[in-house]
Amino acid sequence: MAEETPPAQHPFAHLQAPNAALYRKVMLAFMRAKERFTVHLRPEDIALDLTHDLDAVVEALGRLEHWGNLRADPDTGRVTSVEDFHRARYLYQLTPAGQAAEQAIAVYEDAIGRRGVLQSVALADIATQLRALLALTGNGAELDAAKTHLLLISVAERFSGLADNAQAFMASLRRTIDFADNDVDAFLAYKERLISYIERFIADLANSGAEIADLALRIEAAGVEPLLEVAARREAADAVPDGIDDEADAAVAEAMRHWRNRWAGLRSWFISADSRRPSQARLLRSAAIGAITQLLGAVAVINERRSGRSDRSADFRALARWFAQAPDEAATHQLWRAAFGLGPSRHLTVTAQTLDEWAEQRVAAATPWAQAPPLAVSPQLRRTGSYERRGQPNRVIDRADARRLLLERAAQEAAQTAAARARLVTDGPVLLSHLGQLDPQAFRLFLGLLGDALSARGPHTKEVRTTTGDGTMEVRLTLVDDAGLVEIHTTDGVLSGPQHLIDITDLTRATVSR
Amino acid sequence: MTRRKPALPQERSARFQRAVRTLLARPLLVAGLADPDLFRLIRSQAAELRDWFDRETGWRLVVDAQTARLFKTVPTVHDATYPARDPRSGAPFGRRRYVLTCLALGALERADSQVTLGRLAEQILMAAADPDLTAAGIVFALDNREERSDLIAVVRLLLDWGALHRVAGDEEAYLGASGDALYDVDRRVISGLLTGSRGPSTITEPTFEARMRALTAEVMPDTEELRNRSLRHRLTRKLLEEPVVYYDELTAEELSYLTRQRAAILGRITEATGLVGEVRAEGIAMVDPDDELTDIRMPAQGMLSHLTLLLAGHIAAEPDRVEVEELHTLTRKLAAEHKAYWRKNATDPGMEIELVNAALHALTALKLIAVAGAQVTAKPAIARYALAEPTIRDNGART
Repeated sequence: MAEETPPAQHPFAHLQAPNAALYRKVMLAFMRAKERFTVHLRPEDIALDLTHDLDAVVEALGRLEHWGNLRADPDTGRVTSVEDFHRARYLYQLTPAGQAAEQAIAVYEDAIGRRGVLQSVALADIATQLRALLALTGNGAELDAAKTHLLLISVAERFSGLADNAQAFMASLRRTIDFADNDVDAFLAYKERLISYIERFIADLANSGAEIADLALRIEAAGVEPLLEVAARREAADAVPDGIDDEADAAVAEAMRHWRNRWAGLRSWFISADSRRPSQARLLRSAAIGAITQLLGAVAVINERRSGRSDRSADFRALARWFAQAPDEAATHQLWRAAFGLGPSRHLTVTAQTLDEWAEQRVAAATPWAQAPPLAVSPQLRRTGSYERRGQPNRVIDRADARRLLLERAAQEAAQTAAARARLVTDGPVLLSHLGQLDPQAFRLFLGLLGDALSARGPHTKEVRTTTGDGTMEVRLTLVDDAGLVEIHTTDGVLSGPQHLIDITDLTRATVSR
Repeated sequence: MTRRKPALPQERSARFQRAVRTLLARPLLVAGLADPDLFRLIRSQAAELRDWFDRETGWRLVVDAQTARLFKTVPTVHDATYPARDPRSGAPFGRRRYVLTCLALGALERADSQVTLGRLAEQILMAAADPDLTAAGIVFALDNREERSDLIAVVRLLLDWGALHRVAGDEEAYLGASGDALYDVDRRVISGLLTGSRGPSTITEPTFEARMRALTAEVMPDTEELRNRSLRHRLTRKLLEEPVVYYDELTAEELSYLTRQRAAILGRITEATGLVGEVRAEGIAMVDPDDELTDIRMPAQGMLSHLTLLLAGHIAAEPDRVEVEELHTLTRKLAAEHKAYWRKNATDPGMEIELVNAALHALTALKLIAVAGAQVTAKPAIARYALAEPTIRDNGART
């Protein structure tokens, strides 16, 4: 066989050649034929199979033979036409190199094309097999080597399939999400099913995963080493024929190492070592949950883009142009605020003291700012630009005493005034001479009243009626003819003048009494 | 009169006020960046807050597990005192940085979930090649340090908002062209940045004014009741956002509505925010007894604030205009007087120009003055910063 293969073999060259599609078809036709246990193919058979032009197929077969994928043997069969007889005729079959290349390509395409699936069935299988293993260890009897070995093999197989698939799934999920940018409709149709699928898997992983972890721990408690050893011995017996002891021991040790490794892998998949090194199952679960969130995010983005809103990227680019074309710097600031609306609110401040002052003075809403009491700014701040004093602080003067004194005095004065008024008020007209003695307070008030009345009296009138400047008292004064001078005694001295009839009314009380 | 719900219990109302104030001061909060207590507070009151903002202002509030965003709309398009600022230096953005910000957001909107500063810069470079931008004089080649620092200011702003989260590296290394930085992109934040009711890409107006109008346009209500509601929303927004609302800025319709409903509107604002209405003949200022709800404080400590206060006092004393030149002279004098308290360089020749500019900017932003060319006109509310003098008033004498 070796002497027949051409010196330079390029079984993958046809993948890069022009016409690669045809070469692939031809090679696949050979592979299909091989599945039917047909080894040799004539060009006519292939042309018929592919429904392709015979000349092109012959050409392709020649090239493939040149690259070493096919072997050509002279066709010695009968022919039925002159043209066929004159043409060089060959039978073709796959070379070992060609066949290996086909297998490699198939594996490659399988791996690339795989979407990856989450196998919840695999989880259930693993759990079942572990239960069986546990049952084997439980009864204390001699282990059934064949059973144990088969169970372990099947657990290992199921498990490695699960792990591979999970990995592939996560990868394909990412592709799907990235894919979403291109084919929106397909994605939207797909995502519903995808989400419910992931959700189911998460639930299975949570349930079976916990059970598997529990079973694994129980098997370990019962002793996992004997199980692994039985399997390893059986495997080693298979691999090496009876002979030198050393070699057999080495084979067992090797197999044992292999099995321990697998068990550790299974263990770490389902059981977290500690909080910093979570199990693969847990990682997978959180990755799956993350995938759902990501999917929903992608859906939200898509929906937003679809729901009639303008393309945001285009919005930003348009804004960039507007900024570039704005008439001046101020305009750019205005545009910024209008488009983004991210500015803070801005307000003036006020102190509690100022608020009190406004309330006290009842500043009306119609007061211009210029006439309202200004803001009480700390004099220290106004003087130095800072609230803290440099150097020694002043001693604070306590003015409470002085304030109390002032208050007392004011109260006293108010009381005296009230008393004086009460003293002066007359019940109807009385003669001045009958007023009696007046204290200084009342006398001062009386002089004020008299002054108001006399100044209001015209030159030739005998009677006058007037109210005081503050509008609180009314006085009526009538000259009594030929009564001579009268005297009014006060503590400060004697006032003398012509006799009058005087009538003093307290207007603030008048409304009540009348 | 509108019927009001019974007042909230004291404790709850204080929490509600705090949440409202937080959102007014910072309309975008991202979990992990914002104070967790505040974020939780807003989350827990989300329904009531949404309700309140919708009823009183017509603003949309969106709260989810990651973000809280109050979509404020501007009460006026003519105020240029709310620029974007570099989070590090506080310097206002210029045209280039605004353009870069938008280009960066446009690129990130399309980006994967992670991006490096270098990659982002490449994408911005590509987008900056837009002929409309180059025609407008925006050239961005990223070949000098200044352009890099523009880019970094933009990235800092995005980090500050939570649109990007730094994973590794830092911007400084990039600035020195020696390294790169890696970020996670938060699309959710980016998708909630624009506040206008229309996407700018759907607006085709050719002029700036028309674009602004289209961007801020609102649906015209067609029934009496809706019209009133829209009036109330507009007035409440102004009162919530602006330091002073002068009556002469309002339309006749707004003014008459405000006159009729003043007590009700102010009462609701006070109840929800703790702001107090300072109602005067010329307008209304919603003032904050806590001095928190603002980005510009006055009075405040520090040399510049001190100068601003003193200048305000001077301007308040002048009934008419003040020449900026006059303020320069005054500032030189003040700097000499306050040598002991102010920064050393305050007395440097020429320094007064910079200082006066900064002070006038603050006073303009607070709507206390208007600056036209070299002249400063006092607005009525500046009188509240006049020196308190013992004036004789006739109120209180009667009664």
